[in-house]
Amino acid sequence: MFKRLIKGLAVILGIGLLSTHLYAQEGHPLKGSWIGEWTGNSDHGDFVLIVMDWNGEEVTGMINPGTDNMEIENVDLDPSNWSVEISAGGHTIEATIENLELPSRSLAGSWSSSNGRGAFEIVRQ
Amino acid sequence: MKVFNIIQPRHLLILVLTLSGFSITHAHHPIHGKFDPADQIEFSGIVSKVDWRNPHVHVFVNVINGNDQVNWAVEMENPNILIANNWDENSLLPGDAINVSGIRARDGSRQIWGENVRLADTGRAVYTISDTSPQKPLASRPVPRWSEDNLPALGAVPGGVSGLWSYPTSTALVEDGVSVEMDAYGQLQNIGDAAQVAPMQDWALARYINRQERNLRDDPMYLDCKPPGGPRQYQSDLGLQLIEDKKNDRIFVLLGSGNRNFRIIHLDGRNQRGLVGGDDDNPLFYGRSTGQWEGDTLVVNTTGFNEGFWFTNGGLPHTDLLTMVEKFTRSNQDTLQYEVTIDDPGAYTRPWTASWELSWVGNTELPFSLCQHNRQ
Repeated sequence: MFKRLIKGLAVILGIGLLSTHLYAQEGHPLKGSWIGEWTGNSDHGDFVLIVMDWNGEEVTGMINPGTDNMEIENVDLDPSNWSVEISAGGHTIEATIENLELPSRSLAGSWSSSNGRGAFEIVRQ
Repeated sequence: MKVFNIIQPRHLLILVLTLSGFSITHAHHPIHGKFDPADQIEFSGIVSKVDWRNPHVHVFVNVINGNDQVNWAVEMENPNILIANNWDENSLLPGDAINVSGIRARDGSRQIWGENVRLADTGRAVYTISDTSPQKPLASRPVPRWSEDNLPALGAVPGGVSGLWSYPTSTALVEDGVSVEMDAYGQLQNIGDAAQVAPMQDWALARYINRQERNLRDDPMYLDCKPPGGPRQYQSDLGLQLIEDKKNDRIFVLLGSGNRNFRIIHLDGRNQRGLVGGDDDNPLFYGRSTGQWEGDTLVVNTTGFNEGFWFTNGGLPHTDLLTMVEKFTRSNQDTLQYEVTIDDPGAYTRPWTASWELSWVGNTELPFSLCQHNRQ
């Protein structure tokens, strides 16, 4: 019941973010709000929402803001192949930016933590 | 708003004779995403139909290929630009025999971007894009000045002769002192030169290369009619006007490109601030601009940009951390020197500067061009 409530709140938050980030984003490719799934995550559920920003030196942000609130601790981006590694709340996400040229680009790969691992895919909103 | 009448009648005569007949030069957006500039072809045939509409005019041509007859589509500029180059809806009619040269579609289909169209029987050029800037007078004409403050007039010359600034000597941002070959759309001749164009951070360089390798086809100005914000507004072949509102200490920049946008430069000493709660509450395509005169040079500081557009032809990235310092100097009546310093710690490793000139085109007004028309 509680998880369902959390998921519902996250969806509402996601829709709210959607309404404010509909314009194209031609700056840093990770900046923006991303929604998708980290499949099989028993700690946080399959649904994941990530908000990232770029200050010129590092990518900052949060996973599941307003619900699980995991602050992003580190992001490494390799522009030579657009691979990304995100560390937050005991999770490591290894993914690659796909469809870089699109505002609705995606980040696909895998997640892992001490409690499991699985597929990961989010789409920029 | 009076100005010194320093223009003599003979100057006006020269002005009219030399600068009339403004013609728009090259394409309003990159076409190399669809057509391959390395694949130049030409053919002869009979016009079967002229489709005179936005976004692009198409001329359909029946061409004999061995024993077969095939139909080619010749894609051309939009009607506004063709009209400015002395082409109209009746310049070609079904049944006319023509010779066409241009560049072929990358997908191998029978489509060509028409660069030159001639009537087959007479050889008369029906359509060819002019790329020459207006001829300047042999003697440099003095800068027109306002009577009340003796500052240079950035817009129309005294006496009410209208005009605009166009024919930029550079149509893509490149750091001053760097020499790389690129076309009018900012497409590099050699992708290996990318890192020389500007001092980009790694991610920005990779993104720039990605855009270049995709032949600029993702340009949001082309795809979605996003405005040509930042220095790009001074790279357009459609020109711009600087309208000085002395009474209210502001300058309107009216753009012939984009969506017939305008931008305001405030000269009243106000601070940079946003509309509600600071400087970052409402990021804009053209940013917020304040300026002041330093001698005969107008210096303009602009910040508060959003990231929803490309700020230059060619696709150099920028971020919302961008601050742009522009310097406008009318060095003589017919020349506007433009210099821009890019300070964007989100995309570049240091501030850098680019500069170019625009030419005064007298006795004309901005062409009526709306990007949205091209989406119909």
